[in-house]
Amino acid sequence: MKVLAPLRNSEEVLPLCEAGAQEFYCGLTPPGWEQAFGQASVHRRNPRSAGVPSMDDLRRIVALAQPRPVFATLNAPSYPAGAVPRLVEFGRSLLDDVGVAALIVAEWELLFALCEQGLAPRLHISSLASCRNPGAAAFYRSLGVARVILPRHMTLCEIEATAIPGLESEVFVLNDGCVFEEGICATTHALGTFCLSDRLGGKFGRLDERYEFWKWTQNNCGSQTSRGYTLGPCGLCALPRLARLGVASLKVVGREASLGRKAASVRLAAAALACTESGARPEGIRDAVVALRGAPELCQDAHLCYYPDVWAEGAPGSGDSAVTTASVRSARVTEPNAPGAPENTLAVESHRHEGSPTRPPSRGTGSC
Amino acid sequence: MEYGLRLTSLDSPPRDPRDACPLPWRSLLPEGPAVALYFGSEFCEDLLPDLDEAQAFCALASERGWEPTLLTPLVTPVGLEIVHRLLAGLAANRSLPAVVFNDWGVLGLLREHHPSLPRRAGRLMNRSLRDPRAYRDAPAGFATHDSSRFERLHRFFVDAGVAAVETDADLDGGYLGVGQDAAGAGLARALHLPFTFAASGRNCPMKALRYPEGNGFSKALADPCPGPCRTGPVAVQRDDSPLPHWRGGNTLFYEIPQEVARTWLARTDRVVLHQEAAP
Repeated sequence: MKVLAPLRNSEEVLPLCEAGAQEFYCGLTPPGWEQAFGQASVHRRNPRSAGVPSMDDLRRIVALAQPRPVFATLNAPSYPAGAVPRLVEFGRSLLDDVGVAALIVAEWELLFALCEQGLAPRLHISSLASCRNPGAAAFYRSLGVARVILPRHMTLCEIEATAIPGLESEVFVLNDGCVFEEGICATTHALGTFCLSDRLGGKFGRLDERYEFWKWTQNNCGSQTSRGYTLGPCGLCALPRLARLGVASLKVVGREASLGRKAASVRLAAAALACTESGARPEGIRDAVVALRGAPELCQDAHLCYYPDVWAEGAPGSGDSAVTTASVRSARVTEPNAPGAPENTLAVESHRHEGSPTRPPSRGTGSC
Repeated sequence: MEYGLRLTSLDSPPRDPRDACPLPWRSLLPEGPAVALYFGSEFCEDLLPDLDEAQAFCALASERGWEPTLLTPLVTPVGLEIVHRLLAGLAANRSLPAVVFNDWGVLGLLREHHPSLPRRAGRLMNRSLRDPRAYRDAPAGFATHDSSRFERLHRFFVDAGVAAVETDADLDGGYLGVGQDAAGAGLARALHLPFTFAASGRNCPMKALRYPEGNGFSKALADPCPGPCRTGPVAVQRDDSPLPHWRGGNTLFYEIPQEVARTWLARTDRVVLHQEAAP
């Protein structure tokens, strides 16, 4: 397994290599795109705040990253009329002239057009394409693509069933959750983040606080620890299981993030991968992650877990020692060397939930 | 124009299909016969019917001379098995519904194991934006209805034996294409009204209500759900959109402006009318 890091410009390459990045991905808008297609997104991020600034800088990225591969995102869910031929030409140029190793694609029209050009072996299927089962994976494999990026919201059992031979799998392991599923969220962040202003209200009012809390965890808890680590969704404890499933790549999210956040995240993922390679179990990885990052309370009840099913029923972190929504939300990140508080932790009161009804039967936890 | 009906109950199918949708929409819609009865779910595999329920829909459709049409969502590996078993069970009882697929895995299942069932590409196969906030600046919409951007996808569908494409109204248009030619070649077109989906996912708030604090959402992804959303959608207030919004289980829907619907009606062969914003 390799740690896949996000990039915004060539200055980030070497620090991220040093942090442990083994693969990179980034987005670039073709020259002249805005004149032809206005604000339509090429790679689902603001080209100014998250995109590589120029072809020349992308060339520098590829050169500096060697021998690590660099992948380019052309992963908008849809494109305006006339855009696909332009993107095919652009994609071919990225692959053949710039030296990008693969294109990350979501839209099916673009996918088919690139396959027609014989580029399938150099394509990765974006998580936006919602490959959730072995039948969908077989469809993408039949096209000859190299890799599929599995959606965020899958259990480990589902990943196991979907990671079929002959097709590389990539999974999310750090940062930036999604309230809805990005493949079937038909809104655009260009108009603001739709999900963050979603409220339940009405007869669901009593769920409102819990919904807000959960959204807060998906949104990286709106904070970092004092050591610069993001408090976002995390799948690092699942690495031993993901390794057994043959997953090829571990995605760290956040092209638009600061270099500091990117480097901290990559460092954390690389440390977890090293633990995995030395035979650590999920509990050992969690301890190592908490030692680096802090905020043990958020791990205690699997609040940040991308793959909470890594904790089988009854195992530590399985949810038996519930921390209440209110207590965690009222937590604060301690400042470095804050007097009277342990460094780099969340100050959280822990309360066991009383009188909880029994959880419904699960088909997603434990063994598959 | 022909109509498909997505009813919330089998009790009393309307005589005029237009009576199935909310009152303000009826005057917009041209006269036409009902030809299909839709059931199942495009958004949640836990809402797929069991065999008895599916049989009941098929029987009612048959009684009325309508085509039973099973809606299927994006599915997990377990969901793919559920769809497979359901279709096999229906076939064993000589019920052969058309199937709306929203997942490449389901299309593969249909081609390999249920080749005789008519296949229809569902609205999640159209990934165009539907952001309701876009109508703040363009109340009549800005869809170009340029179908060239789906040329290859449509060709793939035809080659895969797909009979029709279905969608709700997105911001750009074009997904429904140009329809069938005089010889019946090509893809028939169906438009879902009056609700368009804005966002969906597996972390269902209505499902989360069943869990104690600290659970639900991400921790319950694969838990089966009895479908508390079956009691009907809940109105949602948003400060950033004047359009009526609804939460149907795991999915947020909204009613598109009627002037937008008019531009789509000229480009469809069938309207699938929803009694309510059901996932």
